[in-house]
Amino acid sequence: MDVCTFEKVGIRGTNIVVLGVEKKSVAKLQDERTVRKICALDDHVCMAFAGLTADARVVINRARVECQSHKLTVEDPVTVEYITRFIATLKQKYTQSNGRRPFGISALIVGFDDDGIPRLYQTDPSGTYHAWKANAIGRSAKTVREFLEKNYTEDAIASDNEAIKLAIKALLEVVQSGGKNIELAIIRRNQPLKMFSAKEVELYVTEIEKEKEEAEKKKSKKSV
Amino acid sequence: MAATFFGEVVKAPCRAGTEDEEEEEEGRRETPEDREVRQQLARKREVRLLRRQTKTSLEVSLLEKYPCSKFIIAIGNNAVAFLSSFVMNSGVWEEVGCAKLWNEWCRTADTTHLSSTEAFCGFYHLKSNPSVFLCQCSCYVAEDQQYQWLEKVFGSCPRKNMQITILTCRHVTDYKTLESTGSLPSPFLKALKTQNFKDPACCPLLEQPNIVHDLPAAVLSYCQVWKIPAILYLCYTDVMKLDLITVEAFKPILSTRSLKGLVKNIPQSTEILKKLMTTNEIQSNIYT
Repeated sequence: MDVCTFEKVGIRGTNIVVLGVEKKSVAKLQDERTVRKICALDDHVCMAFAGLTADARVVINRARVECQSHKLTVEDPVTVEYITRFIATLKQKYTQSNGRRPFGISALIVGFDDDGIPRLYQTDPSGTYHAWKANAIGRSAKTVREFLEKNYTEDAIASDNEAIKLAIKALLEVVQSGGKNIELAIIRRNQPLKMFSAKEVELYVTEIEKEKEEAEKKKSKKSV
Repeated sequence: MAATFFGEVVKAPCRAGTEDEEEEEEGRRETPEDREVRQQLARKREVRLLRRQTKTSLEVSLLEKYPCSKFIIAIGNNAVAFLSSFVMNSGVWEEVGCAKLWNEWCRTADTTHLSSTEAFCGFYHLKSNPSVFLCQCSCYVAEDQQYQWLEKVFGSCPRKNMQITILTCRHVTDYKTLESTGSLPSPFLKALKTQNFKDPACCPLLEQPNIVHDLPAAVLSYCQVWKIPAILYLCYTDVMKLDLITVEAFKPILSTRSLKGLVKNIPQSTEILKKLMTTNEIQSNIYT
């Protein structure tokens, strides 16, 4: 669902998974905290969605209940693939029921399984899901995906910092007015979800801009 | 007429219905009330072309009053935003008049006092070259009003030595193709030109069986009939409201002869466009 939606990017690093989203401008009188973009489904899984907010709320609530139900029944946290399959099956049911319309959301689901392997999945309104190394959803997903295809290398995701910078660089390709419109969340192995503050994102953005300037200086020196 | 079993001749009902026509005709005859209602409706739906300063109606058509060598028409809010940011900000344009019309699409029932925030249709010419005209039309011109609009703008005998460029948008679901709509690179540009337009288009031509609708189709048909060189640039997009990516899809037109010399500062225009987007952005919470 690419219409009218803001960019979301997900990257699977070696020891980290990163979710970056474009912050949409909030009305002056609106409480920004209530505008949720990245949602935790459990301690080790989180998702970002693009599309109808109300539909996402329903899907997220069902997924959260399923995560806890699974933990109580089987005494193990859900794997990322399990919860993705649950969400995808739910979405598919609504494409084949009378009197119902499909959920109008695409989702990026990231997390770590118990075996310590990082995962990134994408689902769409038809109910299909696929695993990705890096992906984007939203209005300009094609542009961001092209950037990721060029820049996602083993070196780029070798360290946590590099993976975070790659996510921010991908978003900066399409987000207007830079770093202050980017929200970031990461999950490291055996650690809970961490949301970055605006300051922390700005630090990364400044670092990226510095690296860009240095790369341009080198280029101009070479051409001289 | 038919004969019954007993030998009597009776008037049989005619399944062809020819006998009922006389009764229907009586009903079809217009009463004075019908005529009055029809005239009132025609007055309400009249297209008026007003002079800028005096707000009085023009006696002759716009292009009969002012000579024109180049006419660029933007129909729809994305096309209007493109011309506002890239063309109107690159020169000094003077408003020469505007078209006032009312139809069921208008949000107000008041036909005489359409406010400035309503959809509008304005005509401008370049101060440094008054034969270059521009039309910004963000209102919907209904089928019955299109002919009036053409008459009031072009007149009944237009000059052939002008070039017309029309910019408009259409939803990508209207685009008929063998490819799946999911794989289409929307927004994308297609062109349709009249026989007398000899310059190349900056994008592929619109393929069959796709057709053009509404006012752009009326203008293009008019130009084809009167042998005026005209080209329509149609942007198929998945977002019909004012959208930055859709407006930027018109950028290839900047390099064509139609807009040559009219656009000066492209980076500044892009900034102006971004500002236009942010001021017009509706704070909708439906989508995230």
